[in-house]
Formats: sequence, structure tokens, C-alpha cells
Amino acid sequence: MLASAIPTLVFYLLAAISLTLAWSVVTGRRILRAAVSLMGVLAASAGLYLLLDSPFLAGVQVLVYVGGIVVLLVFAVMLTRTTELLEDHPTRARQIVGGAVATGFFLLSYNMMTADAFVGRTLSPLPKNDVAAIGRALLDTGENGYALPFEVVSLLLLAAMIGGIVIARKPAVAAKPEAFHG
Amino acid sequence: MSWPVKTIAERTGDLLPGSPWTAALYVLLTILAVTAFMTVTGLVLIYAERKIAAHFQCRLGPMRVGWHGVLQTIADALKLLLKEDIVPRDADALLHILAPVLSFAGMLLVMIALPMSPSLQVADMNIGVLYVTAVSGLGVLGILLGGWSSNNKWSLLGAMRAGAQIISYEVSATLALLVVVLFSGTLQLSGIVQSQEAGWWIWRAHGCGIVAFAIFLIAGTAEINRTPFDLAEGESELTAGFHTEYSGLRFSFFFLSEFLNMFVLAAMTSTLFLGGWMPLHIGHFTVFNGVMDIIPPGLWFTFKTTGMIFLIMWFRWTFPRLRVDQLMRLEWKILLPIGFVNLFVSAACVVTGCYFFAR
Repeated sequence: MLASAIPTLVFYLLAAISLTLAWSVVTGRRILRAAVSLMGVLAASAGLYLLLDSPFLAGVQVLVYVGGIVVLLVFAVMLTRTTELLEDHPTRARQIVGGAVATGFFLLSYNMMTADAFVGRTLSPLPKNDVAAIGRALLDTGENGYALPFEVVSLLLLAAMIGGIVIARKPAVAAKPEAFHG
Repeated sequence: MSWPVKTIAERTGDLLPGSPWTAALYVLLTILAVTAFMTVTGLVLIYAERKIAAHFQCRLGPMRVGWHGVLQTIADALKLLLKEDIVPRDADALLHILAPVLSFAGMLLVMIALPMSPSLQVADMNIGVLYVTAVSGLGVLGILLGGWSSNNKWSLLGAMRAGAQIISYEVSATLALLVVVLFSGTLQLSGIVQSQEAGWWIWRAHGCGIVAFAIFLIAGTAEINRTPFDLAEGESELTAGFHTEYSGLRFSFFFLSEFLNMFVLAAMTSTLFLGGWMPLHIGHFTVFNGVMDIIPPGLWFTFKTTGMIFLIMWFRWTFPRLRVDQLMRLEWKILLPIGFVNLFVSAACVVTGCYFFAR
């Protein structure tokens, strides 16, 4: 009994933490605190992956989201504002539109979740839970391989990176320099 | 000779079906032991740093409190605990309090995965190396938040420098780490140690090992913000960088995690490249290996880690501090290309089995 009670308890704990922190991400007016709360939400999802017996995914979640994306986010906030500035209160129109979108998305996902019974319907047998199997699946060009999606994703990342460099680059200097004084 | 690994987490798991309360007590004792270990290691490291620094400069260092000043750090620690804890008035108090905790947590979470001996390791994750890389990211976040929430421009500048530096050098450190993962074929830290039974990767990996070792050590020193990479708190430029506004207990958290990060770096380097707790073995030289096995694994780990810590402290009095642009050039134009080439060469070595004592 105890063995099954502990995961359930941990699940509800993680779920409560996720929901509370997600709420404070959306409603908080201090932008850096929101970023820290977001970190908490992402770390709690890593905990959920651990609970689902996929430690590799949990590790990648922490590595990419907590160590990468949140750090980048905090970095960007630090570059843009140095003093404690509060976010403006949203206008009435924004509140209404935002609420409508959120409710619509909630209804959509609720319908999707109730429509599907979530029986185990995987295309291929789940790979054994080790890194070697995941690596082989990623490079497999066969029927159940993930080589094509992997390459497409890397192409997307490359495009994003080139885009970032183009935006960050200084505008090219004029071909014909001004007359040199001095 | 085989080296069965039994972690503390596994022992707790064995206790759980019998009596949950014994298991809980065991966990509590583990937490106490880890805390005590960290405190003592931190105090010893601070004392060692001061003594070593002094002798490098032909001074004596602390001499007054206790024999050769051995009680000096204890006195300093007590003084720090009694100091007033100040949170700047216009600072974000919550983040100001959270930052040292995050920084400490990043270090602590790595600490529990370190294989100190076959019988002394708190948890041995399947994804060990990935886990270590992932959770050490928390430390950066602590530094960034600490600098930002102090509402002080020196702190902010220090935090920005630290952030940029750690994010950049993480890439090279990971590339060097992947070389060892390639050779040992596992992400598990105890597995990596066991894969070095025929010899340590630093020399067995046919040249790739020593390059990866150098890159890992340089990048690691940059990641823990130690001289020559201490721009984040260069006292001649930024007062004390991101922890300028910290005092008392919270400052000691930053300070302790900085010193223990040095221990973690030394322990990781010796685990990955110097065999961790594995004695010095040379292939099939059974007699030599047998003699080396007499020294217990825990002592091997201690020797290697202490040696690495001494090397890192030695750096501090050998190299001058780098400028920001030099720092970035070193990473992106020198270390990173070497790291990539090294990774390709070692992949080729692994595929062709072209390294010493390949099975």
C-alpha cells in the first residue's frame, strides 16, 4: 500500500506546486519573479517525468528549460531593465480578450482529453528506457525511426540561429566611406 | 577484481519494505552526514586556500588561532553567523533571499551524485553525467538573481559577467565531458569509474583524453568563477561583484558554495579523467594492479581530488585575470573548435577501437 501511496502523494504535491507557480507566472506583476516561478513550473514538470519513469527526459527538461531557457530569459530581462519596474495593469479590453482566449483553450483541451480514452496506442513498441535506445531511435531511418523529424528540428534550429545572427549584426557600413578628415 | 557499487539510496530502498520509519531515519542521517561533510570540507578548503596562497607569496598565513591557525576558519565562520543580515531597502527581498539558496542547491544536487567510493555515493543515477550538467545550471541562476535583486549596478555588472561566462564555458565543458561518455559508453558516474579499470581515460584515450582533460579543467575553472576567470567579482573593478550587497549568513552561503564548487569540479575531473575511486591500473599487469588495490578506493578518490584542488589553487597565483573580450575569445575561438575536433577524433577512436586496452 505504501509503495503506491508515495508516488500518488508526490504527484499531487508536484501538481499543486505547478499550478500555484503557473498562476503566479501569469498574474505576477514583477517580471523577474514571474521568470523564477516559471523555473519552478518547469522543474516540477521534470519531477512529473521522473514519476513517469523517464529520468532521461527529466534530465533534458532541467538542462534545456531550467538551465538554458530560464537563464536566457533572466539574462534578457536584466539587459532591458535595471530597476524594479512593475508591469502595467492590463486594460479592460485586454483582460476580456485574454480571458476569452484562455477559456476557449481550456474548453478545447478539455474536450480533447475527454474525447480520447488514452489507451496505450503507440506506433512502435516503446524503446527500452535507456539512453542508448533513445539514441538509436533518433538516428534510425527505418519505419519507426526518428531520423527525419530529428533532422527537420535541427534545420529549424539552424534557421533560428542564422536569423538571430542577422538581427544582431550591425548594419553594414556604407560601401563608399566619407571623406577622411584628419 | 570487480567493484560492486552500493549507493546510500539503494540501501534506503532495501530498508523501506521492512520498516518505513527506519528508512526515514536513514534518510535523515544521510542528510545530516552530507551537511556535516559539506561544512567541514568548506572550512578545510578555506583554510587550505589561505595557507597555500600565503606560502605562494612567502607569507605564513593565519598563525594565531590554534596550531598554525587551524581554528581560524571556525572563528571566521562563527563571526559570519553573528553578523547582521542586511537586505537593501529597494531590493526585491524575496529574490534576494532565494538567490543564495539556489546557488547552494545547484552545488548540493551535484554533490549527492559524486561517486566517492564503491560504498560511498548518495545516489547513482542512470543519467549521471546529464544530471550533473543539468543541475549545475541552477548555480548560474542563483548568481544572476543575486546580482539583479541587490539593486546595485556593480552587482548587476558582476552577475552579467558571471552569467555570460558560465553559459559560454558550459559548452566546452560539456564537449569535453562527452569525450569520456563516448569512451566509457555510459552516462552513469559509477559506470564511468568502473570503465577505467584497465587505466584512466586521461592516458588510455590516445591523446583525446588529455586534450579533453585540459579543456574540462579550463572551462570548469571558468564555470566556478575562479582566478584567472574571476571577472564576476574582480575586486579591483566591481567591489565584490554579484555578492556585494550580501552579508552574514546569506553571504556565507554564496561563499561556501563557491568553495564547494571547487571541490565538486575537482571530484568531477578526477571521476571522469583520473579514474575516480579506481586505483591506478595498467591493463593486464596483474601484480602491479594487485599492489595498487591494497590502497582502498576512498583514499584514491581523496588523493586525486586533493591533488586537483591544489592545482586549481595553484592557478590562482600563476595566471593573471583575463579581460572580458579575451575571455570570450578564448572560449569561442580557441576552446570550442578544439573541443569539436577532439570530439570527432575520439568518436573515430571509439569506433575503430584505437585506444589502449580496448576490449
